[in-house]
Amino acid sequence: MSTSESEDSTGLLRTVLPPNQVDRVFDFCGENGWKLLALGAVVGALPPLLGLEQGYYMTVVSEMYLFAILALSWDLVGGQTGYPSFGNMAFFGIGAYATAILVKDFAVAFPVALIAAGLLAVAFAALIGAAVLRLRGHYFAIATLGVLLAAQQISRNLDITGGASGKILLQVPSGTVFYYLFFGVLVAEMALIYYLSNTRFGFILNAIRDDEEKATAMGFNTTYYKTAAWMLAALFTGVAGGTYSLFNTFIDPQTAYNGAWNVELIAMALLGGSGTVAGPVIGAFGLHTLIEFVETAFVGWQLVLLGGAVIVTVIGFPEGVVGTLREYASEMAYYERGGMAAVDSGEDTEVTADE
Amino acid sequence: MSETTEPDARTAAAATDSDRAVLRTDGVTKRFGGLTAVDDVDVEVQKGEIVGLIGPNGAGKSTLFNCITGTLSADEGRVYLQGQDVTDWPEYKIARAGLGRMFQETRIFGDMTVRKNLLLAAQEGGANVGSLLRRPDDTLIERTEELLDYVDLGGLAETRAGRLSFGQQKLIEFAMELMAEPDLLLMDEPAGGINPSMLENLIEYIRTANEDEEATIFLIEHNMDFVMEIADRIYVLAHGERIAEGTPEEIQNDQRVLDAYLGRE
Repeated sequence: MSTSESEDSTGLLRTVLPPNQVDRVFDFCGENGWKLLALGAVVGALPPLLGLEQGYYMTVVSEMYLFAILALSWDLVGGQTGYPSFGNMAFFGIGAYATAILVKDFAVAFPVALIAAGLLAVAFAALIGAAVLRLRGHYFAIATLGVLLAAQQISRNLDITGGASGKILLQVPSGTVFYYLFFGVLVAEMALIYYLSNTRFGFILNAIRDDEEKATAMGFNTTYYKTAAWMLAALFTGVAGGTYSLFNTFIDPQTAYNGAWNVELIAMALLGGSGTVAGPVIGAFGLHTLIEFVETAFVGWQLVLLGGAVIVTVIGFPEGVVGTLREYASEMAYYERGGMAAVDSGEDTEVTADE
Repeated sequence: MSETTEPDARTAAAATDSDRAVLRTDGVTKRFGGLTAVDDVDVEVQKGEIVGLIGPNGAGKSTLFNCITGTLSADEGRVYLQGQDVTDWPEYKIARAGLGRMFQETRIFGDMTVRKNLLLAAQEGGANVGSLLRRPDDTLIERTEELLDYVDLGGLAETRAGRLSFGQQKLIEFAMELMAEPDLLLMDEPAGGINPSMLENLIEYIRTANEDEEATIFLIEHNMDFVMEIADRIYVLAHGERIAEGTPEEIQNDQRVLDAYLGRE
């Protein structure tokens, strides 16, 4: 499409970072995925042990993990399955409120409340999914946005959720607990999605994204798989929401069902590279760090930056960081591995055999 | 009807042709508003046959295919697959029961690797949760290698399927069907849009699949040379009605067919 253009602009890049080098990195990552994940888990678990104190930095890193969970969950349905949801924060809000209410009003232990919150989000996803997952493209996006707004309005009107003033939670665990909780959930989710992406289930989700009608014609009941992915995304988003309500010590309709966050986590997934495991996580880490920096250095400009980042990504790197690199790495592979050659030789033998 | 009411009687009657048929449609009719796209059509495909379906544009060929696969539901008539009434089944269930389909416009999963396309097509394990959550085993991966080598696309297993040329994608789609080993394969214009030398290859592949793997094939085709060469029998549709049925020679000499179709050219 734009090969001549990209050849000019990436001429320097090609010398500094040849595609086959990048390809080798991808091969290495592909072969050592589990080891890299384990290494990441160890590295991520170290900072509090090495003296990272509770406070600003621990909070920032914890939030980074939180956004990575949210972006990865969104991507399971939005990137892997091709159903871009603008309502994922509904699961987050349900998880957050369920945990807050159970812990504060019913004196349920935090871990139990968290499990209940996850399950409630899953149940909600099953119910809503049956309706909205019939829609495609923009209709699906609009419907999920409607779900988010409706959920927000409901929590504003109910007594049990504390109405518009929300709920304040004072007795909460220490920051280190939240750090490990967010991190643990993130690692578990990455491991699960990484595993699933190499199973038949993962293939079917990708197939639904690429051509749902063909997937149906091949014998897959796509509704079933879409709903399963949607429920899995709800589980992690709900647990993240439940953790967040206590982490933040305060929850109200605006923070629990935060529409701006919903855009943020989509931006993270797209920036990093949707449809991959590492992409949304990289996107979340990168964009959240950037947003944090802008928030302290140029107060009030973070949404402008977010908007700018989304526009640049969508125009310049629609595949995101990981996707763009992967495309770059494999651009010669088609020819190297005998793309046209295979056809040519096939034709030759066929012609000589016939004549 | 007797098949559905008396399942035991079916085995006794198994000797008759219509019960052995892999596919049988009985008076299938499909209307779109005032237009009858498919009008009371009976077709039958026996095991191991290659049957062609021809007719002018708008004759209702693709609509008939859609009624068979369950993409559209027939207004009247029944569809039997391996003697089982599948008329009211959802599309995915009919496919799972052993019906494969290749689309006119060639549909593969463009953002997935060629290998994943093929692995997905394998029907082993079906939809049970255990096999959904397991990685594909080595025998399946070996089978993908074999099939890719067979269609001269070995070495492209890890390439994104969307990067392949149209003709190559067509071969991948065919390889996917070989992977799935359906009881009946519906092909909508397999010869459409591919170059003559690749067409020669495709004829060879279809023949081999039919002879060696006993693949049963029902295909729509506009390329007369191709269909006359490959089909054992041919049905002719015009204006939704079945106007003729017979061997390629019979069809070529049928006056109604010449009037309705061949005569126009």
